[in-house]
Formats: sequence, C-alpha cells, structure tokens
Amino acid sequence: MKIRTRLTWWYAGILIVSLLVMGVGTFREISEQLRHEHRNRAEGHALDEAGEMIFQIGLPAVVLGLLGGWWLTRRALAPVTKLTDAVEKIHEKNLSEKIPRTHNGDELDRLTEMFNAMTARLDDSFQRIREFTLHASHELKTPLTVLCGEIETALRDESHSPAERERLLSQLDEVRRLSKIVDGLTLLAKADAGQIALKLEPLRLDELLRDIFADAQILAEPHGVQVELITCEEISVRGDRHRLRQLLLNLADNAVKYNQPQGGIIMSLMKSGNMAQLTIANTGAGIPPEVLPRVFDRFFRGDPAHESTIEGCGLGLSIAQWIVSAHNGTIQIESEPSKLTTVTVRLPLDTSAKPA
Amino acid sequence: MRVLVVEDEKKTASFVRKALQAESFAVDVMANGDDALHAATHTPFDAIVLDIMLPGRDGLSVLRQLRERKNTTPVLLLSARGEVNERVEGLNLGADDYLPKPFELAELVARVRALTRRGGENKPIVLCVADLTLDTITHKARRNETEIELTIREYRLLEFLMRSAGRPCGRMMILEKVWDYDFDPGTNLVDVYIRRLREKIDANFEPKLLHTVRGSGYVLKVTP
Repeated sequence: MKIRTRLTWWYAGILIVSLLVMGVGTFREISEQLRHEHRNRAEGHALDEAGEMIFQIGLPAVVLGLLGGWWLTRRALAPVTKLTDAVEKIHEKNLSEKIPRTHNGDELDRLTEMFNAMTARLDDSFQRIREFTLHASHELKTPLTVLCGEIETALRDESHSPAERERLLSQLDEVRRLSKIVDGLTLLAKADAGQIALKLEPLRLDELLRDIFADAQILAEPHGVQVELITCEEISVRGDRHRLRQLLLNLADNAVKYNQPQGGIIMSLMKSGNMAQLTIANTGAGIPPEVLPRVFDRFFRGDPAHESTIEGCGLGLSIAQWIVSAHNGTIQIESEPSKLTTVTVRLPLDTSAKPA
Repeated sequence: MRVLVVEDEKKTASFVRKALQAESFAVDVMANGDDALHAATHTPFDAIVLDIMLPGRDGLSVLRQLRERKNTTPVLLLSARGEVNERVEGLNLGADDYLPKPFELAELVARVRALTRRGGENKPIVLCVADLTLDTITHKARRNETEIELTIREYRLLEFLMRSAGRPCGRMMILEKVWDYDFDPGTNLVDVYIRRLREKIDANFEPKLLHTVRGSGYVLKVTP
C-alpha cells in the first residue's frame, strides 16, 4: 500500500472518530436545548430535528475533510514521487548527473542533497575503476611487447632443439592470447571512459553483411557448417564501418565456433519499423536459460568445459554489445538449447539516406 | 639499408635492433625525440621506426617536423595507445605505416622491409612468381598454363602476397591490406583463406610456392 493511501485512510479514520465524538456531543447538547424550548412537543420529534441538522452539516464536512486530506498527502508526498522517478533513471553511466533540489531546506530537500552526495561518491569510485583498468591495460602493453619480442628473437636462434622451439612457440601463442585480451580490455576501458569517438558515415549494411557472409562461409567450411543468407534487404545506416564490421565478424565467428560439426548458420537482414534488423542464428549446443542474461558480461564463459577448446578472449560479446549501443541499437540473444541460438541486432535506419 | 629506431624502452629497442640487424639492416637507436629529429635531418636513412610516446618531443611532433622540412624518409609509427584516431592522425601527418603495441617482431620487420622497398618499386601489370602469373587488370591467375578461378578476396590476397613475394607477411598486415581491418578480429580468417588459396595454386603443382613462416605469417616464394 502506498504511503499516500495509508495516510489518507488513517486521516479518514481520525476524521470520522472526531466527527462522531463531536456529533454525539452536539446531538446531546442540541436535543437538551430543544427539549427546554418545546417542553410540550414530543421528544422524538426534537431528536429527529437534531439528527437532521448534524447530518446536513456533518456529511459535507466529512466529504470536504476527506478530499482535503487526500489533496494534502498528495501534495506533501509529491517531492517523494519526483525523487523516486529521478532515482529510477540513475545508472552507472549518468552518475554525475544531479537530481534537482528545491533548496527550501525541508526533509526531502535534505534527502535529495544526501542522495546527490552519494551518487557523486559512487561516480568517483566508478571513475577510479575505469581509470585503473585503462592504465592497467596500457601498462601491460610494454611488457607484452618485450615478452613477444624476446621470444621471437629466441626463435630466430637456429641452435635451439626442436623441443625448445616448440616450447617457445607455445609461449608465443600464450603471449598472443594475452595481447588479444589486453587489446579487448583497452577497447572496453576506453569505451567506458567515453574516449572512443565513432566515425559515423552513411553505410550500406547489406553490403557489409554480404562481405561477412563470404568470410563466414570460408570460416565455416573446415567444420562442415553450412551458411545461408536468407534475406538481405538493401538497408542504409549511419555507422562506423570498422566497428560494424568488427561486430558482424565477431558474431559470425561465434556462430561458427559454437556450432556443431555439419551444423548450420542462417543470416538475415530486413527492415523492422524504423530499425534495421539483423539476425545470425546457429544450430550449436545453445546457451542454457540461466546463463543467458550473463553472456554479455566481460570474461563470462557459459560452459567451463568449452573454455579450453574454444579460443577467444572472453570479451567478444561485451565488445559487440558496446558497438551496438554506441550506434543506439540493441542486441539480444535467444536460445533454445540444442536447437537454435539467435543473435538479433537492431540498428536505427539512416533517415537522411535518399531512397534508391 | 640504414634504419633509425626511435624507442625509449631499452628492451624493445634492443630486440628491434637485433631483428633488423639479422635482416642485414644497419640500425641506429635513439631514445628521445630531439636526438631523433637531429639524426634524421643530418643522416639519410632508408626508414624510421618511431615510437609515439617518447620523453621530451613525442613521435608525432618529430614526424611533423620532418615532413615540414621536406624529409620524405618512410616512417613506421609505433604506439602503445593503439587508438584509431591516433592512427589516422599519424597517417595524415605523413607516416607511411602504423603498428600498435604489443606488436610481433616479424610483423615489424616485414613492414620495415616493405617501407624500404616502397620507393623504387614499379608496379607491373602482370605479376609473376615462378610459373604463377596474375593479371592485375583481368584478375586472372594462371599456373603452368592452367587458369585458376579466384574469388575477389582470394584475388586480393594473392595479389598482395605476389607483390610482397619473397618477404614474409604477418597476419595483421594481411588483414589490414586485404580486408581493410584495423583491428585484430580474433579469428583464423587469414589462415583459412591461405589454406584455400594453397589448394588452388599449389595443390596440383610443383614447386610449392605458398609457405607458412611459423610464428610470423606467410610468404610466397619458390624455395621454402
């Protein structure tokens, strides 16, 4: 029950009780007087008259009182509703925005002030974490360059035995994996800090998809996976060419990697309202419903058993999600385990493009 | 061939120097921007490997100064920041190539080699390696008088490999030149395409031309 409703009920209760007390008191007083004035009249008639008087005055009083009470609580609690609405809109990205204060010094204004102070502290902490990740990923690059270079230099030395070379090559692979993780981390850290500016230009999304479709066929061939492009409408969006290609290739690559041998991939692109709707579905093992909400989390791996066999940095979908939201689009994954897992990307159409 | 390496991180500078020397380049190493600018304006180098983050004058400023002084030595920029804008800015300032850290040594060496050859290289219309020919106008490939069908992507890959014949090409470099990707897509796209290309140009012919250089990439040449 809302505070407003509760207060109104309480108020109504008190009002009715006090009116009853008043009514009973007045009733007795009036009937006493009336009895004095008209000794000859019947007592019952005097009582009726008194009751009627009280009823005529009392009822409008009760109604007015109730309405007034309702209005009063509503007015008193309006700032709370406003505060709630404002708080609801807060998320990690807009912590620096302040909730407007009334500056009238009441309890709610003070609550707003405290709330703003709290979000400011949170914003500060988030900022520190972002900066930390960004610095960490930069700092890791120099030692990685050195490590990679030293191993490659060692590999050039012909005097190493084949076993030693094998070991060095395996180390080099790990260093490369680490480099990829650091690259992904840097990208996301920069995106979080708002340091990446997209180079937006009018793009033909269908052409990008056809390119990726060709690449996906090649990537899928060794696994015996069939790739189909069922619909590919001519669609223009405003986007960053490199980022969108990265997005599509990433999704296509996932569809191949997480597929089963001889499986299938179905791609499509069509208009849906004022959005471009792109889907890439695969017949892989799928994602269990309980982990589905977490697939976009950084370094999240659904199935630990898969981890060793599928290469990747664990940041692919996080990066995909960032690219989509930076284009004001949405991305979602639906999965029927062992049947079909579908990734749907929606991007706003380029409204400035001239119809062909 | 003489190369100037400008890098303040000692270990990186050291293995870059070793790797380039192993490829018969003469290598000078400088650790700050002012020295580098001075050296580059007074000594003719065939290429400059220039780190962006340097103590004192940074790499981009060195590059700007060089180009203002009409010095056209090819420059390969190195950067730990790896920002798209930085790459564009560097290339606009007149850099010839850009490599984000962490980079692979083989990739760097291949790029320096490409830079030092860039100037004098003429661009023949029909490329030729052993009995493999590629017509850059009709996009037709032939080996030993047999015509080979290529998709557009395969054609571009083969053209790039043939133009760099004899020099190993790193995966990043191939992705950049053939796919126009300026990021590592984290897929084995290049390897899969190379395998297909190998089936077309090498499977039924001798000698094999397309070789894998383990740890660095691929090379097209007659002898492995």
